[in-house]
This record gives sequence, C-alpha cells and structure tokens, in this order.
Amino acid sequence: MAKTVSIDPVSRIEGHAKITIYLDDRGEVEDARFHVTEFRGFEKFCQGRPMWEMAGITARICGICPVSHLLASAKTGDKIQAVRIPPAGEKLRRMMNLGQIIQSHALSFFHLSSPDLLLGWDSNPAQRNIFGVMSADPDLARGGIRLRQFGQKVIEVLGAQKIHPAWAVPGGVRTPLSDEGKQWIRDRLPESKETIHKALDLLKGLIDQFSEEVRTFGNFPSLFLGLVGKDGLWEHYGGSIRVVNSEGNRIADGLSEDNYQDFIGEAVENWSYLKFPYYKPMGYPDGIYRVGPLARLNICNRFGTPEADQALQEFRDRTGGTANASFFYHYARLVEILAAIERIERLVEDPDVQNSRTRATAGINQLEGIGVSEAPRGTLFHHYHVDENGLIKKVNMIIATGQNNLPMNRTVAQIAKNFIHSQEIPEGMLNRVEAGIRAFDPCLSCSTHAIGQMPLHVELVGANGDKLDEVYRH
Amino acid sequence: MPVTTLTIDGTPVAVETGSTILEAAQEAGVRIPTLCHLDGVSDVGACRLCLVEITGTRKLLPACVTEVAEEMEVHTNTEKLQEYRRMVVEMLFSEGNHVCAVCVSNGHCELQNMAVELGMDHSRFSYRFPQRDVDISHPQFGIDHNRCIFCTRCVRVCDELEGAHVWDVAHRCAGLKIVAGLDQPWGDVDACTSCGKCVDACPTGAIFRKGSTVAEMTRDRGKLEFLQQAREKGEWTR
Amino acid sequence: MDKVRFATIWLGGCSGCHMSFLDMDEWLFELADKIDLVYSPFADVKEYPDHVDVCLVEGSVANEDNLALLRQARKKTKTLISFGDCAVTANVPGMRNPIRNSADAVLKACYVDMGDTNAQMPEALGVLPRLRDRVQPVHELVSVDYFMPGCPPSADRIRNFIDPLLRGEEPPTEGREAIKFG
Repeated sequence: MAKTVSIDPVSRIEGHAKITIYLDDRGEVEDARFHVTEFRGFEKFCQGRPMWEMAGITARICGICPVSHLLASAKTGDKIQAVRIPPAGEKLRRMMNLGQIIQSHALSFFHLSSPDLLLGWDSNPAQRNIFGVMSADPDLARGGIRLRQFGQKVIEVLGAQKIHPAWAVPGGVRTPLSDEGKQWIRDRLPESKETIHKALDLLKGLIDQFSEEVRTFGNFPSLFLGLVGKDGLWEHYGGSIRVVNSEGNRIADGLSEDNYQDFIGEAVENWSYLKFPYYKPMGYPDGIYRVGPLARLNICNRFGTPEADQALQEFRDRTGGTANASFFYHYARLVEILAAIERIERLVEDPDVQNSRTRATAGINQLEGIGVSEAPRGTLFHHYHVDENGLIKKVNMIIATGQNNLPMNRTVAQIAKNFIHSQEIPEGMLNRVEAGIRAFDPCLSCSTHAIGQMPLHVELVGANGDKLDEVYRH
Repeated sequence: MPVTTLTIDGTPVAVETGSTILEAAQEAGVRIPTLCHLDGVSDVGACRLCLVEITGTRKLLPACVTEVAEEMEVHTNTEKLQEYRRMVVEMLFSEGNHVCAVCVSNGHCELQNMAVELGMDHSRFSYRFPQRDVDISHPQFGIDHNRCIFCTRCVRVCDELEGAHVWDVAHRCAGLKIVAGLDQPWGDVDACTSCGKCVDACPTGAIFRKGSTVAEMTRDRGKLEFLQQAREKGEWTR
Repeated sequence: MDKVRFATIWLGGCSGCHMSFLDMDEWLFELADKIDLVYSPFADVKEYPDHVDVCLVEGSVANEDNLALLRQARKKTKTLISFGDCAVTANVPGMRNPIRNSADAVLKACYVDMGDTNAQMPEALGVLPRLRDRVQPVHELVSVDYFMPGCPPSADRIRNFIDPLLRGEEPPTEGREAIKFG
C-alpha cells in the first residue's frame, strides 16, 4: 500500500508551493513532487501591449529580482529595434544587475537561510526567521541587512527606486550615475566587502558540520547551464551560453539565446504551475540541468577579479572541482556577492557610467526578439513577437527557477529517501525537505509569475490513492 | 462691461456677466478641482468634478458650464461635494483599466493626482475591467483606450485649436469610445496633421508619444495655453 | 507593554511589497522590539494563528487558496491592512480580467500553446488551487481596515504607516506620500 506525504506550504522561499511524497508498498519513498501553486498569466495578458511597456510590466513578475526582467525585456527590445546600445548604457545596466545580485543573494543567505544554518533545522520554528537571527546574532543580522541595503541602494541611485525602477528601456537606460550616487557607492564598498568576507568565513566554518546535508541535499549529477563572457569569464549580462556536465566537461559552448528553442524544451506536468525546462538534445526528463550561482561557478573559467578568483579556487578545492551538491548553492551565492562587489568597485570608477549618452532610439525593425540575462537565480529568457507597430503578439519567458524545477524535484526525492523508511514521517525530515529546496533559493514569484507562503502539510497516499496519513506542522 | 456679483464660499466676487462659476472662482482665487476642463478650449461638463452647491438649488451644478447669476451663493467645498468628487474619481478608476504602476503617465497623471487630492486610497466601486484596445498605428503617437476617461480634451483641441477634427466620440454607454477619423486606425487618418496637441492635452496616459516607457510620459500644457493666447491676443512669443 | 502580534500574508502578487518591508533595513531592529512576527512568508509558522493584532495583506485574490487564506486572516485579525496596489486595486495581476474566461485563457496560453512536451492544462485535482476568472482586490471580498497603496509602497511609506499604528495611533491616510497609486 503506497502513501503520499505533503508539505504545504513550503515556507521561507519566495513563493507558493507544496510537496507530495509518494511511498511504495514497502513504505519506501518512490517519488516526490514539488508543486508550485500560483500562476498569473503574463504570457497572455501582455498580448496587445506596446513593446516599450514590457520592461515595466514584466518587472512586476517579481519583487525580488525585478531588475532581471527589466534587463531581459530591455534587451529583447534592443533586438526588436535592431539597435546597439551605447557603451554607457551597457555598463550601467551591468551595474544595476550587480546591485541586484548582491541584494537578492544577501536576502537568500541572511534573511531566509541563515536561520537554518545558525539556529539549526530542529530549532524552534517560531524563532527560525530573520527576527530570530536578529536576537541570536545581531551583528551578523545587521551586516546582512546592510549588505542587502547596499545592493538595493545601487539599484536606487541608478533607477530612482529600489523595487520596480522603470529605468532600463529598449535601447539603453534613462539616466547615468549621478555624482552623489557615485560617492555613496564608493563610501559603502569597504564595509560591504568586509561583511561578505565575514559571511564567507562563517559559512566555510559551517560546511564541515553540514557534511550530511552536503551529501543528501540534492547531491546528484546533472548538466549546468549559464552565460559566460569572453574567455570563459563569469558573466551575468551578455556573452554566450555554455553547458557543462557533472564532471565539468563542456557539452556545448558559444550558444546564442536566439536559438534557445533548439536546446531548451519546456515540459508540462498537470500537478504544477511551474514548467519543466530540459536540455533538448538529451530529452525529457534526462536533460535535467541546473542554473544559478552554482551553475555559473561550475561553467566559468574565472571571475577576472582577484579576491573572487581566490574565492573561486577555494570553492573548487572544497567542492571537488565541479560542485554537484546543491547545498553549495549557498556557498556559490556568497562568492558571487564578493565578485559583484569587486566589479562594482571597478565600474564605479569608469567614466562611462557618468556619460549622458545612455540610450539609442529606433522604431520597430524586427518582428521578433529574444533577450537573455543572468538573474540571481539563473539564466532568464524573454521572447516577444510584435506586429509592425510594436504591439505584442506573443510572449514566452523561461525563468531561472523553472529551469531548476527538475533538480528541485529530485532534491526533494533524495532527502525524503534518506529520511523516510517506514510509514512514519519523522519531524526532522519536513524541515530538511524545505531547507533542501531553499538551497536553490527558488523564486516562484518569477517562475510561475506568482507568489506566497506555505504551511507544512504532509500527506501519505497509498498505491490505490487513499490518504493513509497526514501531518501538519503548525 | 456688465458685471455680476455673487459670493463664492462666502467671499463677494464681481465678474463679467456671462462668465462661468469656474471662471469666477479662478478670479477669486478659489480652486475647484477639474479634469475635463482645459484652458483655451470650450467646456463640456463631462467629468463632474467641478460640481458646486448653490443656495436655493437642490441640484449640484458643474461650475465649468454654469453661468454666474446676480446674488448667487456658491459653495465649492462642502462635505457633500467632497464625497461626490471622491466618488467621481473612484468611478473613473473603476470604469476603465487604470494600472498606475505600469502606465506611461505614472507620476505625471492628472487622474492619479486627483485621487491623491481627494483622498482616494481605494475604490468603493468594483472594477469593470472592460475589454479595450491599444492603437499605435500612428508613426509618432499612440492611444490606449484602457486609460481613457472620456474627458474629450483631445476632441476639443483637435477641433478648436488645430481645426482638423480627427477625434470624435462614438457609441454610447459601456461602448463609448474616442475614435479617430471614421473609427479608423489613427495612422490611416489623413486629416491628422501630427501636431501633437491631443498628446499635450490628454490628462492620463491614454494618448502618448510612441516609444514612451513606464512613467516616462510628460506633457507640455504650456504649449496649448500659448497657442490660445497667440490666437486671441496676438502674442506670438512664449 | 505586550508586543503586537503581527502577521503578513502574500496572495497573488510579486512579493515586491514584502521586499519593500525589508527595505526598512535597520529599522527592523526597532520593529523587532515592538512586534512578534506570528505569521509571514519570512517565518516558518505554517498556519495562520488566532488573535493576531495587525496583518499586512500583499497581493490580489487570484485563486481559491488566496481566498481561503484571506478569509482566515480576516477572521483571526483585529486590524487588516490592504498592502500595496495588488491588494488595493488588483493592479497588474488584474490585467488578465478583461480576457474572456480569463483563468482558462491564461493557462492555455502558457501550458498548452507554449509547452512543447506533455502540453496540457495543469489541473491535477486537489493539488493546484483553481484560478478565479476574476482577480479581485482584497476589500471586494473581506472588510479592510486600512489601505496602503503603492507598487510597492516605499519603505518610508510603510514605516510612516505602521509606526503610529503600533503605538495605537491613526496612521496617515492622506497626501501624496501616503496614498499615491503606482
């Protein structure tokens, strides 16, 4: 008699989700499903909007990474207008994206995941949140809050507001960096760097304690996909797409987003509002691949900035070259924050970012465009068809978290298999399943263009479909 | 010049006979909220925001199209009027599809400003969500009917200032629509001189310069005023 | 003085309002002295508790789960605040409302027209909450005590609002800084 176990909702991730675990007749875990339960329908209701409004509209897909959508949309607009944007425009867009990577990664680590890492998976759930960390380790919490503030403020000094700035536009950006903005960023850089070094030291110290989690939290071979720059440099805005396998061998390189449909397929399952993208040449579901910080560190040759390169070397030494354990997403995120700070350090001194020539203007010169950027959670594609006047006819978006859908499902199954050996659901497992998902920092707001919080509701379902057991965690 | 004397909010005012209450109030320095009114073109009383109370009259009257009368006692800001004006703005918001967050006029919109002025923090009327379209067939400009409040400023500036009469009002009730030419795509209307007066007149994000992105659309109201001055008084410098 | 039992919920929206809440940055330390966060997407509590003093509601009501959670929150909360434009007006999620049979239409566009393997409607029974045909603002479904519009409301607006509220005073509900939409 098989059973299912559900967790509803999964909390401290950015979205609405629940989990069902299926047991076989012997009570062993057969399968696990991570359901995403929200959907808003941007693909449909954007039809008929002028192309120029898309950056502002799609920013509302996600309040955590609006900049990713802003950039992917603006880049799609660049292509539809067939313009090459001024150098200042590109450097400024990069700067904003770096600010966003910092704030989003800081949110994931300090606000959402540090409660698990510091207070423990089995600590009191009422305290296991950022407010709990604020009282347990105020210095760390303050550092994290101020680091996220730094990233948000970089976005604000460029785009006039922290969330949903309407600043990147087809053809470039609206305004350059002001003198005051430049000064603010400069002044805050040293503190931000100090904070991230401290956080890195803290996490490295913890990794040995978490060998069990490293082994079981989504530790499996898969492909890794993301953008790389010239000479394989770590990239977040331009460049081309590279795919490597679990041993670090390049499967594909130099791919263009323009041909994404040749190498990325999108599968649908009737039990989730989140689609299941896969690497097309290997089919579904064998073409499982991961995106995001872990993937970007696995595919790139180096960062090109000294401290981040040193951190990358250490990361590789500790993770065995190509990191296959999803737990290391946390580690990769911190390394990327360091890299983003170093890049901002350079960009802020570049005279181009204060150049007022930030925007190229043009009409509709192509009826289709595909834009790409690296969102904090991974590669993001926007694909629009327009009519000759520029009204949107068709929209498709492939979102970072969606691409981690297969890996997240596999992670849940792996953790469940490790913990469940009877028809009992051990309490500790529920927390760990959530923590396993949290390692991916999924943004379900983006991925189904949706959002929410989730209580933990585990359902054990028999082979004949009967509900045998049920656990709520309050 | 024959003069009419009246009181506005208790203050005696003398204005040229035949003036509207709105003109009298402007003369007296009393602000009455308006949306469809535009200096330089005729008034139509479409938006009902300028409703005032007149002692001895049970009906509320629109100040922009009501003539002053001797010894008239006008009240412009009673509690009843504040409530009605707020309702008017709530109805305007719930009638169309006004999504301020992603509108080209966010931050520069007279409807949005009016909501703030009248203390509207939500609409008590349920939203209609009508199905409306966007026409960007004109090479320079576009019209998004979702954001139209039927103030007809565009109709009047095009007719009275430009003399082209590209815009007009078609259909009734829920089907009401501002149309270009003979209900054609704007870009197909030969009569349009592409002068842009309707763009400068529109109070919301309905008519915009093509290529405008969210919150980017600003308007030059001064241009319309200048054109009117130029015609009426022969002042050709700005 | 007892701490205020404070909750936040997140319905159909982008989480930008919650992010803006976090943008109060170090003021969160002061806030921590005044509130107990009893339910929130930031916290691990799975069921909406009883006797909540203040709840911020982000997002529109777009599916049946949203509605169920909202009703629970209303029942168990003294002061319910419509938090951000999606909650107050339906905002961007409401842009699907003019489409005929919008729930099916948006699902079909995404999962049938644009899925290339197993293209199908995601409607496994009992797993996914049904989308409502009409995305609605919060106050059309339950009574709301205060409205805080904005997309998102800025961190300053949020702070200026909840600071007096937590002291038992009336929050500002007039003026550009407090109620401008967008």
